[in-house]
Amino acid sequence: MIHTLRTSFLAATAACALAGGLLASPAFAATELTFQRFFGACDADFGSNTDVSKAVGECGIITSMVNKFNADNPDIHVAVTTVEWPGYDQLTAQFAAGDPPDIVTIHHSALSDYQTKGLLLPLDDLLAANGIKPADFTDASRNGVTKDGKIYGLPIDNWTMLFHINMDLFKQAGLVDASGKPILPKSVDELLAQAKQFKEKTGKPYLIQNLANETALYTRNLYTYLFQQNSDFFADPTKVKINTPEAKKVVEMYKAIFDQGDTTKDLDYAASINAFLAGEGGVHLNGTWMIGDYNASAEKPGTALNKGGYAVYPYPQLFSGKHAQYADGHSLAVSQKDRSEEQTAAIGKFLKFMADHDFDWSRTGHLPAMKAVLDSAAFKALPHRDTVAPIAELGTSLPGAVQRQFAIQDIIGQEMSAAITGQKEVDASLADMESRINELLANL
Amino acid sequence: MSSMTSAHAPTPASDVGRGAPSGMVGRTTGDRIILGLTIALAIVMMAPLLWVVALSLKDNKELMVSMNAVFHAPYTVQNYINILATSSVFRWILNSLVVAGGLTVGTLVLSSLAGYGFARLNFPFRNVLFVIVLMGLAVPEQAVLIARHQLFSWLKLHNTYPGLILPGLSAPFGVFLMTQYFRAIPKELDEAALLDNASRFKIFWKVLLPLTLPAQATLGIFTFLGAWNDYLWPLISGTKKEMYTLTVGIASTQTNFAQSEGLGFLMSQAVFAGAPILILYLFFQKYIVTAVSGAAVR
Amino acid sequence: MADAALSSPANRAAPAKARVQNVQAPLWRNALFVLPFLVVFVALLVVPLVWGIWLSLHKADAFSSGRFVGFANYVRLYNDKIFWQAIGNTFYFVLLTVPALAVIGLMLALALNSRTRTAAVLRTVFFASSVLSVTIVTLIWRIVFVPGFGLLATVYGWFGAAPPAFLSDPDLVMIAIAIATIWWCIGLPMMLFLSALQQIPGDIYEAAALDNANRWRTFRYITLPSIKRTFVLVVVIQIVLQFQLFGQAKLMTNGGPNNVSKPMVLYIYEAAFTKWDLGLGAAASEVLFVLILIAAMVQFLVSRRKGESA
Repeated sequence: MIHTLRTSFLAATAACALAGGLLASPAFAATELTFQRFFGACDADFGSNTDVSKAVGECGIITSMVNKFNADNPDIHVAVTTVEWPGYDQLTAQFAAGDPPDIVTIHHSALSDYQTKGLLLPLDDLLAANGIKPADFTDASRNGVTKDGKIYGLPIDNWTMLFHINMDLFKQAGLVDASGKPILPKSVDELLAQAKQFKEKTGKPYLIQNLANETALYTRNLYTYLFQQNSDFFADPTKVKINTPEAKKVVEMYKAIFDQGDTTKDLDYAASINAFLAGEGGVHLNGTWMIGDYNASAEKPGTALNKGGYAVYPYPQLFSGKHAQYADGHSLAVSQKDRSEEQTAAIGKFLKFMADHDFDWSRTGHLPAMKAVLDSAAFKALPHRDTVAPIAELGTSLPGAVQRQFAIQDIIGQEMSAAITGQKEVDASLADMESRINELLANL
Repeated sequence: MSSMTSAHAPTPASDVGRGAPSGMVGRTTGDRIILGLTIALAIVMMAPLLWVVALSLKDNKELMVSMNAVFHAPYTVQNYINILATSSVFRWILNSLVVAGGLTVGTLVLSSLAGYGFARLNFPFRNVLFVIVLMGLAVPEQAVLIARHQLFSWLKLHNTYPGLILPGLSAPFGVFLMTQYFRAIPKELDEAALLDNASRFKIFWKVLLPLTLPAQATLGIFTFLGAWNDYLWPLISGTKKEMYTLTVGIASTQTNFAQSEGLGFLMSQAVFAGAPILILYLFFQKYIVTAVSGAAVR
Repeated sequence: MADAALSSPANRAAPAKARVQNVQAPLWRNALFVLPFLVVFVALLVVPLVWGIWLSLHKADAFSSGRFVGFANYVRLYNDKIFWQAIGNTFYFVLLTVPALAVIGLMLALALNSRTRTAAVLRTVFFASSVLSVTIVTLIWRIVFVPGFGLLATVYGWFGAAPPAFLSDPDLVMIAIAIATIWWCIGLPMMLFLSALQQIPGDIYEAAALDNANRWRTFRYITLPSIKRTFVLVVVIQIVLQFQLFGQAKLMTNGGPNNVSKPMVLYIYEAAFTKWDLGLGAAASEVLFVLILIAAMVQFLVSRRKGESA
């Protein structure tokens, strides 16, 4: 034992030397690029797959795309680091440490946080050199990645929230018209009435929402119905005006649904997906990315969605203002860093490759970022794209100059949840919401 | 445990129920009720673990249909095969071992030296310094996180093993523990050696250090466990895939929102990340328990 | 904390001091032994702490050194309802967990303080959860509490009932986090008490048994006084540990709903990494530091006074 102890003292020196030795990374002949992304890891299924058309799901498709790129370009090696969604804490820490990845997935809504600090490379020249013009992007995508007149990320998609519908339950509830389409509400009153009818006929809640410790869903719901009332709550990107009659109407609508028991209440995100797949409610409020999974489930005999079918629509227009709903998107941004010409060229090649394969990415359910793909027959032939296509026009995001949108989302979600579940008065929550956001924005 | 008990038990064990210093003599109804309650509580303790293990052995698609599938066959190890296919997982285990091992060795060395210094030697400002070190016990890691991160950025230590190991070395708990321990050793031992003109270091190395083994074991085990389980610092310092520790790496493989069928897979990740340390615990249980007990009462 | 554990060995050593006064003279070279640790301690704890105080007087983000704003960050904290709520939450959590950990730990130690195989196995079971990391502990407990398909929901389902919404009911979330924490941390107090019980000489109990003292009286008049110091030690260690609640709250509820389960450390983390408001985060860190320091001081004074009167 004494001997062991002494050895361990000596081992300390050895460990330090070892650690030092491991620091030196082996040199690669190929140009090395680091690509940091969320969307998870799925090496077991797609780790060596280079046939992108065979891949399914966000993770499978992006993994296969990178594999294909590496296989096609032996002189470049893209090394992938996956981070826990959304990975911004880590990215911030990396930028602060002066050691960011070359290419990184960033939401359109989060780009300005990094762009305003001068951390991202403007991509206009690099994209132009690789034959990608700003006009190639859909309007929503181009607007999402353009800050101060420059492009700060290659947009790969737009996404939004949707009404995912269990048609079997809708039929039971008498909410299907003669042509077999679901009947969706056209006003707040209709929504509440249909929800009530749904519950009476099926015994199940109309909406499936993940309300447990959730902030994103609340926020997206609020933004959507504020847009529909023409409420310009971020007229000044540094000062929100959200303690308004319009916002009150939206919160009270969701509160009424909650109070009448027309929504699931205590589900978290995963549980809400399970609940919809098990036929526990009529409409699941979830994003574009679920279309593929739900469609697959609907095709499988014996499932709740197979019984009467699955349909998916944009959020219904409930107010008399402009037709709109909240949308965001993913982009590939490039960090500001000292690079050789080969490295910069390699990044350009990678971005070009990703843009060229935008159709493959759109199979996830997201709307493509490239106009040509959106208009293509192949895209239109994908399941349910006919009913969700209007979101290309409807999709609206916050003004690009609004910073800390993820932090704002937390505040809105917290206060809205407090109001809807009755923890707090509606007026008090809206007042707190406004003052907390403005406190945040005043201290950037 | 057993060695400790025999040292203090009133009489050598003559029957199974004997030897409890808490005053239980033989088995009474009261003992049985207590035992029954304790076993019931143990089952409650185990239930979540068993639930997770059972889930990890099920096909993801089957779980989607009904959770009751957990209670009957077929079971599969496919989820574990999928984890092993994540090529980086062994690298992450290696990283965790290097970080936890390095931190453990480093802490033992620094704490033993300092503990000896504070407990047995006199030097100017000793008491002031010791109080300052003790006050360090009250500094939560998170309170210095931001500044530390900036410091390590400046030193270019992020994404290196020293970067992951060094912050843990500054924790004063080890020094506190070792100082206590050295103080408890009778002074006559090193005084005799001093009269023989042995150097201070020699006394430390040859005479006193061997006596502190139980404390070394305790401190080593706590340090290792703490480092193995650390989440916050590795998350913001080891940000490259090759430098992930197992905890961070496992978290990074969890998919974005699109994943809807991965419950079994998720649970197998939990088991996979927890199993090595649990096995280590079962293996070294006797030492761990003895060590915890040994150091605590002093 | 130091005092409780240090006092008796120090006293024992006292008479020896006089005889070797000459070798106990303060010498600079003796400090060489503590130097390696002190270097690391100063560089990685004291310097960041001071730097943190300096930062807390600045309006700073992760990418610029910022400008001096005096005590503005502290004023903002003072006016922030959520910061006060976070302090309250932290105290509430300590109140929920520490007494439970101490009492349950002691009861388990009493029940398992025997040499049987069953007791050994049970000790293993109760300590096992302590070795798991917070990411795994929270994953496990989310899968217990999650509505619809969690363990709790499944068990309630057998009786046709729905379980309480542990992860979303404002009145229950802290309790849920406390349950998971107690499950995770119970091993250490149990072991500390067990080892204290082992130190009680067996003949005292034999004498008590001869007097026909019942179980309660034996516990009240023999066991409890003998382990008083360990009890204080357990309580102090747990207060300091549970004050630093972070991972469980972040991973189980993310502080929700509406901040009712947001502890101070999560507030600090969010200020720094979500809002990028480093100065505010640093200021909140200093408040946390002072609170823990006060708790430690109070304990120090209390235990010292006890030591003197004894």
